[in-house]
Amino acid sequence: MNYIVLSLMLLAVGFYGLLSKRSFLKMIVSIEIIATAATMNFVLLSSYVNKALGEALLILAFSTDTCVNAVILSLLVITAKKYGKRDIGKLAELEKRENREVDK
Amino acid sequence: MIYELIVAGIMISACLAIYFEEAIYSLFSLTIMFILTALLYSLNGAVYAALFQLTMGAGALAVFFLLSEELTEKNKAKNTLKRALLTVAISLLLVVLTIFSPADNIIASFSCNVLFPSALWELRNVDVVLQSLVILTVVLGASMVLYERRRKR
Repeated sequence: MNYIVLSLMLLAVGFYGLLSKRSFLKMIVSIEIIATAATMNFVLLSSYVNKALGEALLILAFSTDTCVNAVILSLLVITAKKYGKRDIGKLAELEKRENREVDK
Repeated sequence: MIYELIVAGIMISACLAIYFEEAIYSLFSLTIMFILTALLYSLNGAVYAALFQLTMGAGALAVFFLLSEELTEKNKAKNTLKRALLTVAISLLLVVLTIFSPADNIIASFSCNVLFPSALWELRNVDVVLQSLVILTVVLGASMVLYERRRKR
């Protein structure tokens, strides 16, 4: 079995979710799937050659992934609390309306 | 056979995590995906990676479950069984493409003789560089927001 294809499929599913769904939670789930697809390469490719370099790189990738998650979650919670919107499309409309009011 | 079943489980749970509108079901599918990914890692001999995957997944999912009320709309349309079955069928098609892919081991010539502890500690500089990139991005974003706000005033 080719794990590169599995990783590519997961990446495609993640990108589909990121582009098609407008809910905050779905976007986070999509980002998690994309991150899993990316980190899967490190482990499964290194397991072919019995080397631990991939595992070490996976742990480094996890640390960055956790940082990214923390930043995204904090931004999402702030915007959800401030605007009361949980939809990215509605949030963009709100921003446009705010800009128009500032211009006036 | 067990590898194929795990791959099928990973793909189906990933598709269902995207498909479900209800936060609890979506996060439950994501949990299954994390567990199966860890199982796949451990079956491939990467026990440390499986442990880290489980730990990171548990932490992330705990936060997601706590914030699921905050981050989801209340009055969403319910998923139908027909569409759920369609999603499972599409994910099974992706599984078939994965398992019977004609491309085989691309990385046959990959060779790098590094042990786990040395690789972990010698590559801390990569970790520091990646984290500094994340922090730099956050700082740049915050400064852009503050600049725009000042310009509007």
